[in-house]
Amino acid sequence: MRPDRLMSQKPTDMKKSFKQVLSLLKDYKLKLIITFICAVISTSFTVISPILIGKATTTIYDGLTLLYKNQGTIDLNMLFNLLILASILYIISAIFTYLQSWFLTQISTNISYSLRKRLIEKVNSLALKDVDEKKRGDILSRITNDVDSLQTGITSTFIQFMTAIITIVGVFIMMLSINVILTLITVVLIPIAVLIMSFVIKRSQRYYKEQLNYKGQVNAHIEETFGGQDIIRVFNQEEDSIKSFKQDNNKMYEYEWKSQFYSSLLGPIMNFISNLEYVVIAVIGAIFVLQKAIMVGDILAFFQYIQNFTQPIQQITRVINLVQTALAATERIFEFLELEEEDDSATLIIDDIYDAIIFENVKFAYEDEDYVINDLTLKADKGEKIAIVGHTGAGKSTIVKLLMRFYDINSGEIKIDNVNIEEINKNSLRSMVGMVLQDTWLFNGTIRENIRYGNLDASDSEVEQAARIAYADDFIKQLPDGYDTILNEDTDNISIGQKQLLTIARTVLSDKKILILDEATSSVDTRTEKLIQDAMDKLMENKTSFIIAHRLSTIKNADKIIVLDEGKIIEQGTHNELISINGGYYKSLYNQFEAEGFVS
Amino acid sequence: MKNILKIFKNKIHLLLAIIVFLIVEVYCDLTLPSYTADIVNLGIQNTNFNIITTTGINMMIMVIISVLATIVVSYFSSIVSASFGRDLREIIFEKILSFSNHELNEFSRASLITRSTNDVHQLQNVMGMIFRTLLFAPILAVGSIIKVFEIGSSLSWIIFLAFISVAVLLMLVIYNVVPYFRRTQEIVDDINRKSREILIGIPVIKAFVRQEHEKKRFDKSNQEYLKVNLRVYRIMFILIPMMNLIMNLMIVIILYFGAFDALNGQLLTGDIIAFVQYSTQMVASFIMIGGFTIMLPRILVSARRIEEVLDTEITIQDGRSNIENNQSGEEIIEFRNVSYTYPGAESETLHDINFSLRTGKTTAIIGGTGSGKSTILNLIPRLQDTTSGEILLNNINIKDYPLKTLRSKLSLAPQKAILFSGTIKSNLLKGKENATIDEMYNAIEIAQASEFIDDLDMEVSQGGSNFSGGQQQRISIARSIIGSHEFYLFDDCFSALDVNTEYKVRNKLKKITQDSSVLIVSQRISTIKDADEIIVLDKGEIVDKGTHQQLKERCSIYQEIISSQLENIGDVL
Repeated sequence: MRPDRLMSQKPTDMKKSFKQVLSLLKDYKLKLIITFICAVISTSFTVISPILIGKATTTIYDGLTLLYKNQGTIDLNMLFNLLILASILYIISAIFTYLQSWFLTQISTNISYSLRKRLIEKVNSLALKDVDEKKRGDILSRITNDVDSLQTGITSTFIQFMTAIITIVGVFIMMLSINVILTLITVVLIPIAVLIMSFVIKRSQRYYKEQLNYKGQVNAHIEETFGGQDIIRVFNQEEDSIKSFKQDNNKMYEYEWKSQFYSSLLGPIMNFISNLEYVVIAVIGAIFVLQKAIMVGDILAFFQYIQNFTQPIQQITRVINLVQTALAATERIFEFLELEEEDDSATLIIDDIYDAIIFENVKFAYEDEDYVINDLTLKADKGEKIAIVGHTGAGKSTIVKLLMRFYDINSGEIKIDNVNIEEINKNSLRSMVGMVLQDTWLFNGTIRENIRYGNLDASDSEVEQAARIAYADDFIKQLPDGYDTILNEDTDNISIGQKQLLTIARTVLSDKKILILDEATSSVDTRTEKLIQDAMDKLMENKTSFIIAHRLSTIKNADKIIVLDEGKIIEQGTHNELISINGGYYKSLYNQFEAEGFVS
Repeated sequence: MKNILKIFKNKIHLLLAIIVFLIVEVYCDLTLPSYTADIVNLGIQNTNFNIITTTGINMMIMVIISVLATIVVSYFSSIVSASFGRDLREIIFEKILSFSNHELNEFSRASLITRSTNDVHQLQNVMGMIFRTLLFAPILAVGSIIKVFEIGSSLSWIIFLAFISVAVLLMLVIYNVVPYFRRTQEIVDDINRKSREILIGIPVIKAFVRQEHEKKRFDKSNQEYLKVNLRVYRIMFILIPMMNLIMNLMIVIILYFGAFDALNGQLLTGDIIAFVQYSTQMVASFIMIGGFTIMLPRILVSARRIEEVLDTEITIQDGRSNIENNQSGEEIIEFRNVSYTYPGAESETLHDINFSLRTGKTTAIIGGTGSGKSTILNLIPRLQDTTSGEILLNNINIKDYPLKTLRSKLSLAPQKAILFSGTIKSNLLKGKENATIDEMYNAIEIAQASEFIDDLDMEVSQGGSNFSGGQQQRISIARSIIGSHEFYLFDDCFSALDVNTEYKVRNKLKKITQDSSVLIVSQRISTIKDADEIIVLDKGEIVDKGTHQQLKERCSIYQEIISSQLENIGDVL
C-alpha cells in the first residue's frame, strides 16, 4: 500500500537529504535559473498590478467627486491606459507562470526518469543478498512510491515555495510603498496565525498517527478475513469476525474524525485572519483616506494584497509536510543507490571448460557463523552428472548458488579447470552455466521472446528447434497464437509444467557448458513430469550437470550421488555403491522405501 | 450509487446542519464587501467617522460569526465523512463475508481487498472536499449573485463572460488530458510490473548475463512515462495561470465599464469595489466546482467498484430452519449425480459424481492437479453449490438446512493452512468457541504440534508467517479437530508434512474420528492407502472406486500415480 502523503515522514538526516536533492538538481542549473527568473517576473507582475487597479479605482472615485461638484468628470483616457497596462501585466504574468511550470516539470520528470533508471541499474548490479525475497517489496516501493513523492515534492513544493516566498516579499514591499502603518497592521497578525496553525497541525498529526495505526489494523483485518473466508464460513465464525472488525473500525473512526477536524481547521483560521485584516483595512484605510494619507483605490489594492499575502503563508504550512515526505523519500532512494555493488573486477574470461569442477573445504553462511554449507568437498569431472539429494534446508540449492557466485564463500575454494572461480569474471563464469529452477521465471511477453532470452541472436527457426528439443513444441503449437502467445502478467495462462518446459527450451537455446537443474516435484501432472524428465535428460547429454534430484530414476542414473545433510556430504557415490554401504543413510532409506512397497 | 447514498440516510440531520452553517458563513462573508461599499460611499464621501466605526464594528461581528460557523461546519463535516468511511467499510465487510465462492471467484480476493480499502479511502477523501466545494461553492455563488443584483447594474454580462471562459477552458483541458490519464495509468502499471519482474528474476538475469538487456527493456517504459507525464503536466499546468488571468481581466473590464455606469449615476465607487469582490467570489466558486469535475471520473470509478460489490446477489441462501435433529445416530452424506461447472467455464469441473460418506468410514479422493478434488470438498459445506445433481445429508438436500446447522456438523482443514493473526489459542478457538485448555492441548498433541508449541499464547503473525508450512498445517489440523464433528474434511492438508510426521498424525486421528466420517483428499498414495474407500478422480470424473489393493490391480490411472510417486526418494532423503 502507498504510504500516506499527509503523514510527515521525517528524514533522519535533514541536511544530508537536502544535499542529495541539490545533487539531483545540479545537472539542471540553466533550467533552474530560467525557472527562477520566470517565477520572479510572473510574481512581481502579479504584485504590481493591484497598484494599477487601485489607481484606476481612485481615478473613478476622484472623477466622480469632481462630477458631483460639477468641476469635471472621470479621466477616461487615464483609466483606459491604466487598465490596458494592468491587462498587459496580467497577461505577461500568466505567460511566465506557465513557462515556469513548463521548465520545472521538465526538470522534475527528468529527475524521476533518471532516478528510476539508476535504481533499476542498481538492482541489476547488486549482489544477490541485497535483492533477496525479503527486500523486494521495499525496493519496489523505492522505485515507485518514493520516486513519485520526490517528483511531486519537487514540482509542487518547489513551485509553491518559490512563488510563495517571492510573493510575500513582493507584496510586503508594495504594501510598504502605499502605507507603512497599514502594512504593519497586516503583518502583525501573521505570526499569530502561524502560531495557531502550528498548534492545530501538531494536534491533527497526533490523531493522524493513531488513525494510521488503526487503519493498518482494519486493513490487515480485511485482508486476513477475505483470505481466510472459507475457514470463517465453515466454522460459523461470521458474527465473531464482524464484531471484532467493528471494534477496530470504530476506533479508527474516532481518531479519523478528530484528525480530520483539526486539519480542516487550517482553512477557516486563515480565512478568519484575512477577514480580520479586511475589516481593519476597510476601517483604518477609510480613516486614512479622510486624512488624505492614502487614496480610495489603495484600499482596493490592499484588499488584493492581503489575499496575496495570506495565501502563500497557508501554502507554506501545507507544503512543509510534503517537503518532509519528499526528503524522506530522497533519503530512502539514495540509501539504496549507495549500496555497494557486486564486485566484478576479475578479468579472466573463459569460454569453455576442459576439466573438473572442484569444491574444496567450502564453508558458507548467509549470516554470521550459521553455516549452511559446512566443509564441503566435491569433484565433478567434465561431463559427469551429479545428483544432489537431501532434506529441504540441507543446502542443496545453496551449492548451486555458490557455483554461480551469487554468494561468496566464507572459506575454502571452488575451482574450474583448476582456477579459483573468484579469479574469473563473473559474467564470463555465468555465461558458462545454465540453470533450470523449479521456481520458473518468465516475463510478460510472447513465448518466442521468452525462449529467445537464452540467446538473443537466435533466429525463429532456432527458437523452434530448441522448443522441439525441450518437448515444448507440441503444447506451444496447440495454443491459439502459437509461439506468439503472450504470457500474461502473472504468467498463469500456461501450466506450471509448461512453464518449466519453456525454461528448459530457453536453456537449450543458450547452449551452456555446465548445467544446474532442479527437478520438478508434485505440482506437475504425471505426463508433463515425464516430458520434463526427458527434456532434462536430453539437455544434460555430454555436459557437466548438477541435478537437485527427487526421482529415483534420475538418482540411479547419476554418475555420482551426493547425500547432503546440514551442509555436509554424509555419503557420496553411485547408487550401487551407496546401497552397499552397511548402515548407510541412503541404504536405510532405500530399504524403507522398498519395505513400504514404494519401490517396485 | 444507491447503496452508497443510503449511508447518508441516518446522517441527514448532520448534513442539514452543515448546510445551515455554511449559509451562515457565506452570508457573513458576503456582507463584508457591501459594508466596505457603505464605508466608501457614505463614510468617506461624506467624511463621516461615525459611519466608518459603526460599520467597522458590524463587520467585526460578521467576521466572528463567520469563523464560528466555519468551525461548526468543519466539526460536522469531519464527523460525517469519517463516519461515512466507517459505515461504508462495515457494509462492504459484512456483504463480502456473506459471499459464497461463486461471488468470490467472480471478483478475486485481491480485488475485493482493494475495493474495501483503497476505493473506500478514495471516496472518503473526496467527502471532505465535497463539503468545501460541492456544497460551499454553489451557496457562495448564489449568495454572490443575490448581492450583485442588489447592487443592480448592467455589468452582469461580464461575470457571465468569465463563466463561459472558465467553462470552455476546463472543457478544453479535460478533453485533452483525459485520454492521457488512462495511458499514464497503463504505463505506471507497466513500470511496476517490469520492476517486479526484474526484482524476482535477478538470479535468472544474472545467470544469462542479461543485465544490459533488462535495463533497455525497462528504459523503454521509463522513456514513455517521461514523455506522457510531460505532456499531461504541460496541459494541466495551463489551468492555474489561465484561471487567474480570466479573473484578473474580468476585474479590469468591470472597472472600465463600471466607470461608464458611474458616470450615468447607476453606480457609486464603493459599489464598484464591492462588485469586483462579489464577481471574484463567484468565479472562484465556479473554479472550485470545475476543479472538482476533473477529479470526478476517478471518484466515479471507485464508487462504481464499490457498488458492484454491494449490488452482487448472493447465490447461496439459508435453507428452511426447522429440520429436526437426526435421531438414528448414523449420519450420511450422499452425492447423487453431482456436476459442477465454474461460471464462465466451458467444460464441467465435476461430472456425475456419486459416492457417500458414512459414520466410522474413511473415504479418500486421489487425483492429479485440476482433477476437481477440492471442488468436491467445497460443495459439502456449501462454499459453492452444485450445478446439477444433489448432495443429501441424512436424505435431505443440504440446501434445505440452515447454513449454520449444516456447517456445524462439518470440519475442514484446507490444503493451504489459513491462520489468523493473534495467538495459537485464538486460532484454535475458531474451531470451537468454548474449548477448554485441556481440549486445546489435546488437539495440539494429536496434530503433532506440541514439539513447536510450548504456550497457547504464542503469537501468530498475519497469515501465520512466523511458522513453517508444515507447522501451519499442523495448527490448522489441530483447529479442525478441536470440536467434535460428524464429518471431517481434510483437503490435502498433510502435503507439507514429512512422511514420518504425517504417519503419526494420521494414526492419532484415527482414534478421534472413529465415530465420525472422514474425507481425505490427497495426491500422495501413502496418505490414502489405508482408507476404506478410495475414489480415483480424473478430469472431473470418477474413474474407479475401491480399496488400495483393488485399485492397484485394476485401475490404470491409479497405477500410473503409484509409479510416479514411488520415484520421489529424493524428497525423503
